[in-house]
Amino acid sequence: MILAQSLLVGFFGAAAVAFGVWVFRTSSMMRSALALLFSQTALGAMFLAMQTEFLGVLQIMMMATEMSIMAIFMVMFMMDPGGLGEMDMSHQKRLAIAAALVATTLSIAVVILVDWGKPTAVPPGAAQQVRELGTELLGRSMMLFETAGVTILTAMIAATAIAVDGRPYGKQKPAAAAMNQQHKPPLDEEAQS
Amino acid sequence: MTVFLALVSMLLYIYVIAVIEASLRTGRVNAALPLFAALALLGRESIVPRKCDRIFFETAPILLLLSALLAAAVLPLAPGLMITDLATGALFINAALAYVLVALLMAGWGPDGAYALIGGWRFLGQLLAYSMLIVMPITAVAMRASSLLTTDIVTSQAELWNIVYQPLGFVLFFIAAMALAFLPPFDLPTAQGELAGGVEAEYSGVRLAVFRFGRLALITALAAATTVLYLGGWYGPWLPAWAWSTLKLLGVASAMLVAGHYLPRIREAQLLAWAWKFGIPLALLNIFLVGVLVLVLS
Amino acid sequence: MTAVLIVALVTGALLFGIGLYGALSQTNLVMIMMGVELILAGALVNLVAFWRFLHPHVYAGQMFVLIIMTVMALEMAVGFGIAVARFRSRGSVEMEEARDLNG
Repeated sequence: MILAQSLLVGFFGAAAVAFGVWVFRTSSMMRSALALLFSQTALGAMFLAMQTEFLGVLQIMMMATEMSIMAIFMVMFMMDPGGLGEMDMSHQKRLAIAAALVATTLSIAVVILVDWGKPTAVPPGAAQQVRELGTELLGRSMMLFETAGVTILTAMIAATAIAVDGRPYGKQKPAAAAMNQQHKPPLDEEAQS
Repeated sequence: MTVFLALVSMLLYIYVIAVIEASLRTGRVNAALPLFAALALLGRESIVPRKCDRIFFETAPILLLLSALLAAAVLPLAPGLMITDLATGALFINAALAYVLVALLMAGWGPDGAYALIGGWRFLGQLLAYSMLIVMPITAVAMRASSLLTTDIVTSQAELWNIVYQPLGFVLFFIAAMALAFLPPFDLPTAQGELAGGVEAEYSGVRLAVFRFGRLALITALAAATTVLYLGGWYGPWLPAWAWSTLKLLGVASAMLVAGHYLPRIREAQLLAWAWKFGIPLALLNIFLVGVLVLVLS
Repeated sequence: MTAVLIVALVTGALLFGIGLYGALSQTNLVMIMMGVELILAGALVNLVAFWRFLHPHVYAGQMFVLIIMTVMALEMAVGFGIAVARFRSRGSVEMEEARDLNG
């Protein structure tokens, strides 16, 4: 039983990491966004394998919509969403790799060196988890839960306020107009100056 | 054994629903038509478009089928007749159905065709709005049952079906289910005659057969979900439990198909405006009303 | 059981590392946000593993996971709002070009 559980957790963990690596290795933006989605889905499956049913199902559900939205924004805002041009969209690679390696090595060292005591073998049942989590949400953590709700509302208003074009209806500038303005051929600018 | 029985009954339902859809389209009842159509599709060449995204193109129909089957897996047809009884069943239905969106995005992006692409992105907007109308009525149903187990949800309706207890939720869920299965008034991603088939346009042969089968499985799963969540599942006088489930399931499915047959397609902008401006406030109102009813009646 | 815990925590560490690499190395705002999502996913794994194996009766642990999920959604909403505004005014969301605050 324990062996099966560790195999499953290991399998889904490896899948999550593999998809996570794929996110930054492909140049197609759609593949990148959906690789992130499947990385998160693998995490959800891993939660299920760790007998944390509610959180696993919630993770699987939330990420599907979230990453699909991610996909459309990727396609909208990337220079080369199809990835056929093999554009390099990265900078300071050496620093990034060094930082990532140091952070990962340190955290893995911590994970291995710390004495974790005696982990619990059997968690509460799935139905009991749902019930207890509900009691927690509307009991001791109610303030926190409400704060999360208000924060979501604030973020919604803030995001909309940032994103809408303030000009009156009919005088708005289409987003593509800015792009044309910005990316004039360099020859033009030289000729004007 | 029950798993096998549940799967076989799913297949039978899918076939009957295919017969209903075909007879609405042709005007004649012909029980063998879907079989012949499927055989014809399987016999045809399955073309792979040039420069397609092969991974997405191959995965999309399978993912559509898989998500429909997973959603159906937690829905009981009779006491004990289900594939798995999850403690978070009602949430799991949403989780499985969310991947319909992913499948259609893949099918839209994969084949590198303009019509498919438009269809896929259209469905993103459509489902973002209408998945809210799936989740929120299910919340109200789970509130009444005070459990996320689908069997508990059915037994909570032993005295009064949810369609009477929360009619608003039923209407919203029914409409949202039709939008989720992209049935005719909401068939924007596949719009025949406007997008030339949309996400289906580049599929042919075996892959199209799997895609169509997945969509029929999706309709079946949604009809089963409506039955379980609102129509009292297997409850009913005289007949045995499975017969009532079957009757209700097929009734819901044919209601969806017939309604779609007689309604004109809705424009994308209106579809979204209705969902966000009326649907979601009504769904919130439904949650509030059910909360009051649960408190008053208990 | 300790083996499962360590596997889960190592997964979290690896996801954190990948996310950090992505957030530092990508030039596009949306790609940077994907890196941040991976970092938060690493945090999620750790929290679930800690709840499951060390404190299965303290439900504040699960609550913490819910809050992180909320943070992921909020980060996306506000990030995309900024991306839309920037794209509208400057025509791109490349962070190499975003040096307005560079004194």
